[in-house]
Amino acid sequence: MTAGLWQHFRLTLRLNLRSPRALVYGYIVPIFFLLAFGSVFRSGVPPLMREMGQLITISTLGGACFGMPTALVAERERGVWRRYRLLPVSLGGLVAGTMLARFLIIASAAVMQIALARGIYGTPFPAHPLQLLIAFTFVAFAFLGLGLVIAALADNVPAVQALGQAIFLPMIMIGGVGVPLRSLPAWAQQVAGFFPGRYAVESLQPCFNGNGLHHATFGLIALTIIGLAACVAGAKLFRWDAGSHVSRASWAWVAVAVCAGFAVGFTARSTGHLRPVPNLAGPLAGEPYESITEAQINSITFTDLNADDDTVTPLAHSLDSLSDEDRQRLANIRAKLDAWPPAHDGPDAQRVRNILSVAAIADYTQDPLEGQIARVVFDRLQADFDKELLTRILTWIILHPEQGAAITSAPELDLQGRVNEDVLRDRAMLYAKKLLGRLVGKIVD
Amino acid sequence: MAAAAAADAALAVRDLAKRYGDTDALRGVSFDVAAGEIFGILGPNGAGKTTTIECILGLRHPDGGSITIAGIDAMREPRRVKQIVGAQLQSTALQEKITPREALTLFASFYGNAIKPNELITRFSLGEKADAPFDSLSGGQRQRLALALAFVNDPAVVFLDEPTAALDPQVRRELHREIRQIKSAGRTVVLSTHYIDEAHQLCDRIAIIDRGRVVAVGQPDELVAASKTPARIVIRTSKPLDASRLREIVPSSVLREHAGEWHISSNEVTRTVTAIVSMVDGNELLDLQIHRPTLEDVYLELTGTPFGPSE
Repeated sequence: MTAGLWQHFRLTLRLNLRSPRALVYGYIVPIFFLLAFGSVFRSGVPPLMREMGQLITISTLGGACFGMPTALVAERERGVWRRYRLLPVSLGGLVAGTMLARFLIIASAAVMQIALARGIYGTPFPAHPLQLLIAFTFVAFAFLGLGLVIAALADNVPAVQALGQAIFLPMIMIGGVGVPLRSLPAWAQQVAGFFPGRYAVESLQPCFNGNGLHHATFGLIALTIIGLAACVAGAKLFRWDAGSHVSRASWAWVAVAVCAGFAVGFTARSTGHLRPVPNLAGPLAGEPYESITEAQINSITFTDLNADDDTVTPLAHSLDSLSDEDRQRLANIRAKLDAWPPAHDGPDAQRVRNILSVAAIADYTQDPLEGQIARVVFDRLQADFDKELLTRILTWIILHPEQGAAITSAPELDLQGRVNEDVLRDRAMLYAKKLLGRLVGKIVD
Repeated sequence: MAAAAAADAALAVRDLAKRYGDTDALRGVSFDVAAGEIFGILGPNGAGKTTTIECILGLRHPDGGSITIAGIDAMREPRRVKQIVGAQLQSTALQEKITPREALTLFASFYGNAIKPNELITRFSLGEKADAPFDSLSGGQRQRLALALAFVNDPAVVFLDEPTAALDPQVRRELHREIRQIKSAGRTVVLSTHYIDEAHQLCDRIAIIDRGRVVAVGQPDELVAASKTPARIVIRTSKPLDASRLREIVPSSVLREHAGEWHISSNEVTRTVTAIVSMVDGNELLDLQIHRPTLEDVYLELTGTPFGPSE
């Protein structure tokens, strides 16, 4: 039987390559998407680098939610699956072979896109190729699961198109897949948290230009949950025969798949993963931090800073002599900060600003450990960034406090209250100065 | 006794029931098929023939009854049954671009005791189109491929659902030959068919299904012999026969004169013909035909429906 499943997998791949329609959907459409993205985002530095996650997600979505169900439903309409049903083989084996074949087709299209992006636009190859493969596997699994549900629900090929669009379009428009999350209004960013597209992009993109999968755990788990629920629902709803219909009771399995999306969305919301993604037009459109000069760094003065033991921008000199309770709370905050998406996602300048915001929020809301939290923030920044890079970014933040996005609350880090944005930018700038002064040796602890 | 018979039979169907909404498609269908026989299922449109075969094959889940194939409970062990059963479904279609060789290789790979694809290609005369895409095959070639796929696991029992439907007479004859070869190889064949003459020629026994019930099972000739439909005797003479004399000598028969011929329906053919011939004395007998009941008459008698295209 294993030989049969292997034959089925190979034959599915071979038949796909013989079908002009499959070739158009599998390879020509992804090229079209690449060119479309290229025409819109080619001015990025490097070109398209920030959009490769979106591009691969769209191709995967197309192959999984249109390509696979179209082939499955067309075969079902012809009676192929009815005939397969007479074979001594499980549904799971046949469907797994079909999904695996489609996975390879989509993966080859993704590789083609990466190569073409390099050739046409000079987009660098992914920084973490192996991690990209892992992320892609999770993304494809989730979308192929959805494709299975579509195949089960659609009575015919035109219905696949209609159902596929019902999933595809929302993700493209407000799911962070076509239109970048940073360009979406806050409500749409929240809605995107209930679709797998957002997690797909968030898992793939850091493999191109970020820290790889170090901080993509939530996204990968979200994709796994959505994919598992969809696969189970798709298998339960599966129809061997074009003449059969989805029973009313079976619709409960559609609810299971939908509930998985809701569960992921609400979990993301309650754990701070749906924090608004800032539009980073500032750092990228204006003077980039990379262009900060030594003269600019040296021009920063520190005479306006409050003392470290003042009520404004306090900074603990050490984390010793804390009560056990405070020590425990500080450890918790440090641990949460480790997994805090704003500390890991996005360009470096925005990440530094986000981390500084934590100290600013603790300061303004008069957290009992405000000085200690500021020290944790300083330690964190110095651990995460190279000294020279951090020096430039801090200088850039001090010179451009109004640019980039501002995080004004962080309940997920156990910090209560919200800070006025202007105040927050001011406090973050002051903390930037305190740290810069220490980095350049003008302030001594 | 019935249980013992079921265990010995290649196929035993008992009290098979299937409902579609408010409609009873099958209402206690029961029959046995002996090993090595060709068994036909006949019935008018919507009688339940295809539903019966689909339930046996596991394509539909019956609401009641039992199915035993070669001693295996088909409803409890469908995977085991699939290993020993072959099937050719109505209008089997494969992927547009798959070739007969690929299809046979694929299907064969699921069985431990598969026949080599090349052997089936030769046996079912598919050599010319073995590597051609499915959508380029003619209707006859597709049917032959469907049959070849049914034999890929060298099955003990083969189900053929209207195997010759929509085929021209030449291809149909070829398939008849193939089906007879199947029987001579010791295989059991269960077939439903559009054609009553096909059932009569090919089948050792047939079951007639009407409105979800089996109304008769037996050898075609036995069924005909047991028919209550009278034989029809047609007689034509040079001079008209005396009608009153005719009614006198064959009082139990139905008589009708038409265009100089007498049409006589009788359940006692020998006695009636002897009596009529004896009264022809001095007259010239131009024609004498005896039409015994056919399977079609039996079918009409049992179902009340003239035989036509089936479901």
